[in-house]
Amino acid sequence: MREFMQYITNAFYGATGWNDDNTYKDLNATAKGLIDFPLPRGLRLNLSALATPHFATSYQLGTVGVVDGSISYLHSTIPLTNIAAQSDQIPLSALLRSYRRLHGLGSRDGQWCWEAEDTASAGATQTAAPTISPSATSAGSTLLYGRLYLPQSLLEALVVRRLTPELQVQLSAVSERSLRNGGTILGLLQYDRGKYGIEGLFSTDGGLLGFRGLYNFGGDTSPSTSGSPAGPASSEPSGNGQSSEKERIYGRFSAGGEVYYGTLNKSGGMSLGGRFATLPAHRGTPLTATLTINPLMGNINATYAVLAKDYCALATRMEFNVYSYESEWAVGMELWSNRRPAGFLLGADPRNLEVIPEPEAPRVKERSFQAKLEWRLDDEEPEPSPPSPPENHEEYRGVLKARMDQNLRVGLLWEGRAKSLIFSLGTGIDLRKLDEPFRSLGLEIQYSS
Amino acid sequence: MAFNFNWSPLTADAGFYKRARDLLTTALNKSPKPPIIVDDIIVTEFNLGSVPPDLEILEIGDLAEDRFRGIFKMCYSGDAFLTLKTRVQANPLNTCLSAKPSFTSPQPLAAASSLTIPLQITLSEIKLSAFIILVFSKQKGLTIVFRNDPLESLKVSSTFDSIEFVRDYLQRTIESKLRDLMMDELPAIIHRLSLQLWCPDQIAKDDDEPKETSEPGVNPLATPPLDAVDVHGHLLDPTAISELSLDGGPEAQLLFSQKTLLRLSDMTNSQVTSSLDTSTTKDVLIRAWAGPDRFDAANTPTATPNLARTSSYSASAHTYTFSDSSSQENGSISSRPSLVHLHSSTAGLSLGSGRHAKPGRKKKTRVVDLRSKTKTGAETAPASEQGDRTSDAASASTSNPVSEPAVLHDTLDAPDDDLASSKVRFNRSSDPRSPLRTQAPNSPLAAQVPSADIRKANPIETQASSRTSEKAKKESPAAAAAAEPAKAEWKRASTGPMSDTSSVILEQAWIMKMAGEIARRVYEEKHRNPGFWDERDDVPPPAYDEAR
Repeated sequence: MREFMQYITNAFYGATGWNDDNTYKDLNATAKGLIDFPLPRGLRLNLSALATPHFATSYQLGTVGVVDGSISYLHSTIPLTNIAAQSDQIPLSALLRSYRRLHGLGSRDGQWCWEAEDTASAGATQTAAPTISPSATSAGSTLLYGRLYLPQSLLEALVVRRLTPELQVQLSAVSERSLRNGGTILGLLQYDRGKYGIEGLFSTDGGLLGFRGLYNFGGDTSPSTSGSPAGPASSEPSGNGQSSEKERIYGRFSAGGEVYYGTLNKSGGMSLGGRFATLPAHRGTPLTATLTINPLMGNINATYAVLAKDYCALATRMEFNVYSYESEWAVGMELWSNRRPAGFLLGADPRNLEVIPEPEAPRVKERSFQAKLEWRLDDEEPEPSPPSPPENHEEYRGVLKARMDQNLRVGLLWEGRAKSLIFSLGTGIDLRKLDEPFRSLGLEIQYSS
Repeated sequence: MAFNFNWSPLTADAGFYKRARDLLTTALNKSPKPPIIVDDIIVTEFNLGSVPPDLEILEIGDLAEDRFRGIFKMCYSGDAFLTLKTRVQANPLNTCLSAKPSFTSPQPLAAASSLTIPLQITLSEIKLSAFIILVFSKQKGLTIVFRNDPLESLKVSSTFDSIEFVRDYLQRTIESKLRDLMMDELPAIIHRLSLQLWCPDQIAKDDDEPKETSEPGVNPLATPPLDAVDVHGHLLDPTAISELSLDGGPEAQLLFSQKTLLRLSDMTNSQVTSSLDTSTTKDVLIRAWAGPDRFDAANTPTATPNLARTSSYSASAHTYTFSDSSSQENGSISSRPSLVHLHSSTAGLSLGSGRHAKPGRKKKTRVVDLRSKTKTGAETAPASEQGDRTSDAASASTSNPVSEPAVLHDTLDAPDDDLASSKVRFNRSSDPRSPLRTQAPNSPLAAQVPSADIRKANPIETQASSRTSEKAKKESPAAAAAAEPAKAEWKRASTGPMSDTSSVILEQAWIMKMAGEIARRVYEEKHRNPGFWDERDDVPPPAYDEAR
């Protein structure tokens, strides 16, 4: 489960029009989310609120033997009006879904892109105006975030500031007594041109300097298919032209690399990576494949994630080291369910048979009635029906995530919404030790208003 | 005199190397490892070689059949070697980031991917030169302490010998680690090995030891009272208390042998159980046989290890300031001179004799009283009081002042404070007797301490005792009950309302007057400092409790 503050931060990125996918760091975020999802430990309660559009608070109380907690505050200079913060209205997919569909490149290199995004976002959300007008004026927008962990008195701070529409700077700091020099600061300068995104970073810990970049090509970015990005955004008009494209796998290639060097401890590291991911316009099964290579350490890492159905995502990962001949594999799965959590637990009858017909059938009938009454709205009414698939997404009440690795360690996570609480129940199981298989057990409950 | 050192028998023992390897492996994995080491450190090969070290005897401190203490100079340049195996993380970025908070981590995608490399390190050509203090006793095994840094040089050869930087780094790190190992871990390992060789029964005891020492009975100074005060009621600082440890100094180790303590406790146990056979202790005269007084067997158990310990301390004439609640009490009393000389020795004595009735049970309460502050002492006091009431009256006549806590105070009090403390001690009627008293359990003299002494002193004391402090008065019912069949003087001495002494009216009037005076003082004192007196009012003060 993404934390509430993470959700708000993402909302900030969305509101300022920042594409946080376009970094090398998140190259294999899909597979990582499907396989390396964190399991809750102990009991954890979250109380969060977006008190004003500018200000959010979150309190956390947890117990793993000892009681601990944290207090966090967030301030944004631009209003975050267009998001649902109430825990009974937050779209579950925004909190829980691991498979990341590629966004249209929020590239700022062409004015046409603005318009394309404009229309796309206008279709998706009604808050097109705040999205776009800030992106022009988002240059000065700032996010301030602070979090204090109580018994340890560990302080986290984050400042995100958009300098220009292409340039964003992030400063994160941790202060704790046990750390050397009392804490560390990480500075991150991100430059996103859509076609490529580069980052430079500096950390006070070991004087680490880093540089990483990602370059996109193929798919919607290639100039030969420059017409196509406009097409996928609104699939209706270019349906005939894109049919041949869609039969082929239609996606985007990304390639990137990273270099680090610790100026104080004289150590370094690097890696190269590539990704292919289908674009939302692709009509077939969405898939993401990545390959990263660490030439210094001889590590090769390949992942493959596929959204087999809308309610099912699968991922695998293979790792091999050419120097030490060590290998690893892991598989992960995400299964969405629209049953009620209690019904799922009790094995009651699936509700989807009842639920799905309900909204669709009556609406169609109503529309037909209205159409008959109002004479002319027959053809135009089907337009709102595309939003109905998102509503179908909302029908999902829970998700079961599972993973297994080569050590036969299994992680199970059941997340969902019960009333207005979002819960996350997870356990780690070690199949090698069947006499005491449960390694961890945890329940996390989140409520926000 | 000749010494014969055998180097080979150690190596001839087939299981020796396996045991040594196991011990070294556990010792190496005990401390938390740096993140660069990702697996356990396993000792795969270990050989002491065939060349023995050169030993030069510098000094022999103690020599007997079952013990030895000496200082050696050791030089070693033999062919012993040691091979370790583990796995290390070769990616510096991985180890660098693993211990850091994730919030500020740069989150590298694959640059921090792990590469673990099996590492084999062989230590050979070890050159040692050290001054060694060696202490051996059959009971305690072998103890070795290095006076200086023993490691002169060694050769480290590893998987990474071809890389110069890594080799130098390993050489440096391992040398420093090995120095630590030699100074700290090796003595412990050798001690354990020697225990396995000579006294395997000690090993189990060795494991129990921490439990025993943590038990309240063994060392009353292990956990000093929170706000300790000295005889005069001044606060002691904690560093001064830490110097008071009973078994800290080396002289303490020498003063009493463990064997003797074991025998003494054996004897104690044989009395509280129904065991028919009493283990004999050499060179000890048991009071029951020696004295003409009516010593019952129950008196001997007072020679518990604790007592033996403290008395041997008094023999060594060390200066100790004992700082528990009782001395605090005494200090507070001595600050009020009018009350000081009022202490009745008889009350103390009769109470003190009463406590011998149930030694096994007393032992526990006494121990608790000793260590605890006033509050805990007050809690345990009723129980011991009960025990005293049921005690047989015959033992009341045993005027021998072997009551342990009293001895403890005597011995632990500083000689400089003798003047003050001798005044304060209610159970010490005359100064000349106190040395005897302190030696009571060990010396046969103690058995001959005549009760007549006390009787002689009694006429003086009866007057004094009539002016007993309010605490003594409180005790007096119990005291009187205990001292019932004692001599007339004794009866007169116990000045409770229950006592049927035919005192002179004048004297009684005087007593009444004094009692009123005391009551007034108590009232005032209580008024001034209610908290201080509240604790003392409902229960006997710890000093009295211990004296019984």
